[in-house]
Amino acid sequence: MTDLAIENVSVNFGGIHALRDVSFALESGSIVGLIGPNGAGKSTLLNCISGITRPTRGRVRLADTVLSTMSAASVARQGIGRVFQHPELVADRSVHDNLLIACHRSLHYGLVSELLRFPNVQRQERDAAAKVESVLARLGISDSADTMVRSLPYGHRKLIDLGRALLMDVSFLLLDEPIAGLNDSEIARLREILLQLREEFGLGILVVEHNMPFVSRLCDRLVVLDLGELIANGAPAAVLGDARVMSSYLGEAADA
Amino acid sequence: MSAAADITQVPKPRAARNVAATLTGLCLVLACAAPFGLNGYGLYLLTLTEIFALVALGLNLLTGYAGQISLCHASLFGVGAYATAILTQKAGLPYLLALLLGALLTTAIGALAAIPALRLKNLYLAIATLGFGVVLQKIIFEWRGLTGGGGGLALAPTSIAGYELGATGLYYLTLAFMTIGLFGAWNVSRGRTGRALLVIKESEISAGSLGIHAPRYKVTVFAISAFYTAIAGGLFAYLVRYINPESFNVGLSISFLSMVVIGGLGTIGGSIVGAAFYVIVPELLRGIKDAPGLVFGLLLVVVMVFMPQGLWGMMRGLGRRFLR
Repeated sequence: MTDLAIENVSVNFGGIHALRDVSFALESGSIVGLIGPNGAGKSTLLNCISGITRPTRGRVRLADTVLSTMSAASVARQGIGRVFQHPELVADRSVHDNLLIACHRSLHYGLVSELLRFPNVQRQERDAAAKVESVLARLGISDSADTMVRSLPYGHRKLIDLGRALLMDVSFLLLDEPIAGLNDSEIARLREILLQLREEFGLGILVVEHNMPFVSRLCDRLVVLDLGELIANGAPAAVLGDARVMSSYLGEAADA
Repeated sequence: MSAAADITQVPKPRAARNVAATLTGLCLVLACAAPFGLNGYGLYLLTLTEIFALVALGLNLLTGYAGQISLCHASLFGVGAYATAILTQKAGLPYLLALLLGALLTTAIGALAAIPALRLKNLYLAIATLGFGVVLQKIIFEWRGLTGGGGGLALAPTSIAGYELGATGLYYLTLAFMTIGLFGAWNVSRGRTGRALLVIKESEISAGSLGIHAPRYKVTVFAISAFYTAIAGGLFAYLVRYINPESFNVGLSISFLSMVVIGGLGTIGGSIVGAAFYVIVPELLRGIKDAPGLVFGLLLVVVMVFMPQGLWGMMRGLGRRFLR
C-alpha cells in the first residue's frame, strides 16, 4: 500500500500564510474529507498536491517520489487525478471527445505516425475509444456521448471531469467540491461511483466539500483546516464533535 | 434528457463522414481537371490559393487549435522561399531536396518562435512574434551576399528529374503538397496532438492535470506550422520567380491570420475555404470600378459579424440541416 504523504507543508503568498506546517497522509483505499471554512487553505492544499502551487516549505510525497518539485503534468503522470470545482472542458466538442483527451498518456504513437495515421495510430485510437465507452457506461452517461459539452448541464460536466481522471488510471483522486451544483440523484450517483472506485481499484480519494452530511457519510476520516492550520484529523464522528472544529464553523456561520 | 430540444447532437458520425469524403473526393477531381479549363492567370490564382491554403492549414493548427497567435508567419514563409531559392539556385540542389531542407531549417526557426509563447499569451504573444518576424525579415534584407538584399532574387525556372517545372507542373506539385498537408493536418486534429492543443487553448491548468506538458506541445505546433508555411514559401518562390524581402511583411502575416479566421478557427476545411476566399473574391470584385478594396473590406466585416464560426462553420451548419 502506498501513501500520499503531505509533510510539513507551508505556503506563503507574499506575507499571507495560506498553509502552515500541514501534515497528514492519504492511504490508498481510503476516502478522506478535507473540510474547513472558506479561506482555510483547502484549495491551496489541493493545488500543492497537484503541482500547481509549490509549497514554500515541506513536501508532498508518493511512496519514495517527491511530487512537490514536479510540474503539474508530471504529478498527473504519477497517477494523481484532479477534479476541479469548475471543470474546464472543450465546450464545442462532444462528451466522447472530451473524455478521449484524457487518454493522452495511454496513446504511444509519435508525431509522424500521427500525421500519416499509420495502422498503429488507428489501433490505439480504437482502444482508447473503447475505454471511453466503458467510462461513459460507468458514469451512466452513455446517452450523451455525442452531445456537445456546451449544451450539457453543470452536473454532467463535473461527471465528465471525473471521467477524465478515471481514464488516466489514477491511483489517487483529488475532488474539489464535487457535489456543488448537483441535484439529489446526481449526488447519490456520485457517492455510489466513488465507493465503487475505492472497492474496485483501491483508489485513495481526498474530497474538499462543504456539505457535512455528504462528507460524514462518505469519508473514513476528516481533516480540518482553519486559517491554514490543521486543527483536527480523525473519524468523522469524533472530528465533528470537536469543540475547536465546531467553533471555527460556527464562527463562519456567524460571519455569514 | 436526450429529448431536450436545446441539446446539440453531433450528427451521426458515419453519415457525415461519408458526405465529407465524397465532397473531398469531388473537389480533388475538380482540382486535378482545373488546368484543362483555366487560362494562365486562372491557373496562377489557383496555385496561389493552394499555397496560401497550405500556410492556413499549419496556422490553423497553431491559432485555431492551440490558441497561439502568430504575426511572424509571413517571415517564416519568406525564409522558406529564400532557403529553397538559394539552395536550388546557388547551391545547385535538386528542387524537391531544396524544398525539404529549406522547410526543415524553417521548422527549427519556427520552434524558436515558440519560446515567447511559453511565457506570453494573446496580444502580448502577437507583439513578440511580430518582433521576431521583423528580425527575420531584416536578416533577409541585410544578408545581401546570400539573398540579394532589397534588390530581391530573380529565379530561373527549375526542373524535377530533368523535366522543366512549368506552370502546370508547379500547379500539380502544389496540389500534391496541399493534399498531403490536408491529410496530415486532419490526422493531427483528430489525434492525440490535436486534442492536446485544444485543451491547452482551453486551460493550461486543465492540460497539466491531464498529464499534458503544454510547453512541449506549443513548441511542436509552432514547428509543424512553420514546416507547412516553409513548404508553401518554397512553392511560392517558383510560382512568382521573383522574391524580395518586402513581400514578406507583417501585412502578409495578417492576411494569413485573416484566412484562418474567415475560414473558421479550429476547422481543417476552413483553412482551404479561407485561402480561396482571400485570393478569389478580390479577383471577382475587380469589375467594380475603383472600389474592390472597399467591397472586400466590407465583406470581411459581414463574414465576421454574421458567421463568427467562419465560412466553414456556416457551411457545416447548412450541411447538418440538410442531412437531418
